Amino acid sequence: MKLNKSAIVYSAVIALLLTACSSSSEDSASDSFPTEDLTLNISWWGEQEAPGAQKWLEESIALYQEKHPNVTINHTLQTTDGLLPAFEAAAAAQAGPDIQYFWGAIYSQQPGWDGHIAPISDYLSKDELSNYINAEVESGFQGKIWTAPWYVNPSFPLLVRKDILAANGLAVPSTWDDLMKVCDVLSAKKITTLAGGVKDGWFGGWIYSVLGGQSLDSQADVIDAVVGNSKFTDPKHAKWWSKLEESRDRKCWNNDINSLELYQAQQRFVDGKAAMTFTAGPDAPNFVKKAGGDEKVTIIAMPAWTDGPLAGKMGTTSHTFGITKWSKYPQVAADFIKFTHTTERLNAWYATTGSMPADSRFDVSQVTSASTKALFESALDGAPYIESFIPAQLDADAIFKNVQLLLAGKVNATQAAADTQAIMERLRISDRKLVENFTAWSK
Amino acid sequence: MTSLLRPKLSGGNSNRRSALPSREALYWIAPACAVIIFIFGYSIVNLITQSLRYDGDWVGFENFSIVISDPLFLVALRHNLFLLSAVPILVLIAFILAITLFETRRGMRFYRSAVFLPYILPIPVVAVIFGQIYQLNGVLNTFLSSIGLDFLIQDWLGDPDIALGTMGSVIIWKEVGFGVILMLAHLISLPTETYEAAKLDGAGFWRTHFVITRPAIKTTLIFYAVIESITMVSWVFNYVYVMSNGLGGPGNATMVSELYIYRMAFQNNAPELAAAASVFLFAITLILLVAFFKIQRRSISKTFRS
Repeated sequence: MKLNKSAIVYSAVIALLLTACSSSSEDSASDSFPTEDLTLNISWWGEQEAPGAQKWLEESIALYQEKHPNVTINHTLQTTDGLLPAFEAAAAAQAGPDIQYFWGAIYSQQPGWDGHIAPISDYLSKDELSNYINAEVESGFQGKIWTAPWYVNPSFPLLVRKDILAANGLAVPSTWDDLMKVCDVLSAKKITTLAGGVKDGWFGGWIYSVLGGQSLDSQADVIDAVVGNSKFTDPKHAKWWSKLEESRDRKCWNNDINSLELYQAQQRFVDGKAAMTFTAGPDAPNFVKKAGGDEKVTIIAMPAWTDGPLAGKMGTTSHTFGITKWSKYPQVAADFIKFTHTTERLNAWYATTGSMPADSRFDVSQVTSASTKALFESALDGAPYIESFIPAQLDADAIFKNVQLLLAGKVNATQAAADTQAIMERLRISDRKLVENFTAWSK
Repeated sequence: MTSLLRPKLSGGNSNRRSALPSREALYWIAPACAVIIFIFGYSIVNLITQSLRYDGDWVGFENFSIVISDPLFLVALRHNLFLLSAVPILVLIAFILAITLFETRRGMRFYRSAVFLPYILPIPVVAVIFGQIYQLNGVLNTFLSSIGLDFLIQDWLGDPDIALGTMGSVIIWKEVGFGVILMLAHLISLPTETYEAAKLDGAGFWRTHFVITRPAIKTTLIFYAVIESITMVSWVFNYVYVMSNGLGGPGNATMVSELYIYRMAFQNNAPELAAAASVFLFAITLILLVAFFKIQRRSISKTFRS
């Protein structure tokens, strides 16, 4: 009996030791939480597409500082065009924010490949990260996860004004042909079917994702074309250009699409001057509200023009927070990120912004709007957001550019695809690590 | 003739020794030289070093080879050249405005301020305002439509065929004031007797200014032309960045070398390629500067000879 007691005690001690040894990095982080006064800086973006994000972030900071009085957190909201350059400048100086906002996939992979961020998986446990939506598929790299998803961007929902369609005897389109018929009818009446602005380029990337993703089987197809195993002129990758060309010829878009910026064009939809537009998923519920609510507006995925496995599905991507390599307090940064994923903070995010936090623990049942609920559910079962799986330079130099030129009537679908392929080939020369990095990512 | 002129300009052989900087003078200018060497010298050496490396390794001229074979960089240079070709137009407009203001006695101060105002406006403000004005459904086209000139309506910044020209017009509008003020300052300092004599001889407005004013303010005209040439080659980033939202679009219609460098450095994470492109741009600017000093020296020599 005595022996048994000793055995139990020894077992307990060993178990305790084993538990201590096998405890996650997260636990060790909390054990060694600094006690001295420290400051964290956050450089972020998101208010633009999730209004209320700033309020939520400031609230989160205040609550965290209350919990940890020795921590001061400052934040800087970046502009859309300034987000990447500001980070590149900070990376060049190896100084700047401790926590940096990144869009998903390539935008969070590239800084990891360049050695500018530390994997979040070094500081947060696998269990914790398993709840973060899209963490593995977008930020995963050879067993590590670079950044922590913050909120989900269902990408990109098509907002449809049922009132405008009904007033013109039309129904919400469910197929590509239906959509083209809507364009024919509305353009004959001088009404814009799809409002868009490509002057700042971003909308071009959206169009690529909602049209170009439909003919693919998965994001692996895109990576294949990037590394040279297939071509952007192959029908699988090029056919969408002809669909965009068709939409141009059927006068689906506003005639000033090339001289408007993304947000300027979207306002046309809110003002009732266009029947449809695309918007960032987090902002979609706000657009629905501004345009008259669920009675007047519905949210759908881009109607399918093909029958691929991703056709007709909403894309999904998560926007993320990463910890910079030069941060002196990565554990504290990780702890703050984890704090933003507590139930109270997740619910506060939804309550403040109306958009979806990137955490599977978020209770969707609290969403009352039918369109928003449908949006969230479609994002949970979404397709990969393919724009984020090509090099950012290809996006800007080829996709943004050729969408502008094609919509201006200066190139046709074949030329656009050929130019995209030519730029990709060029990129493999100028970015000498591109193939190696993308190949490693695909494994 | 030139060899005869040189001693005259420098005050003759007897003064040559005094024209050379003395040791004391060197002490005086040493701090300024040190600052210049530190700021510019260090940057240039650093830039050149970076352009010869990739990921910390020495790669020789590989980065230059990549940049010079990049169609986008060549397009950007071509666009800079296009803007450079606007310099004569800019100088001509500034000259005409300057002599018109010179001849306009009433309200000259007001007109002078009005012409100079665009030059002191911040470029981003100008670019944003013109970005709005030049929209397809913007103020300019609405105005053209209202006066029955619908056939002139264009997508000024959205049409790749005309976007660069449109941008050039904004640059001219903003930069012309600088030239006008420079030329006016020179015009006002000219002796009036020549003009009075020309008037008595019956010379008209154009003849007077073409034959008398133009040669008289030639150094200012050259100075202005060179400054604007440098602007067009390496100082139009702000216009292009704001008016094309940092893309140089539509397509690559407004891509210029500075924007190419910026995008390589801060968007495409390729600082070594940005450095190589910068070295090219630096060389071109240097050629323009050397050309300017040569022309200026020749011009001064001619003035002294005459």
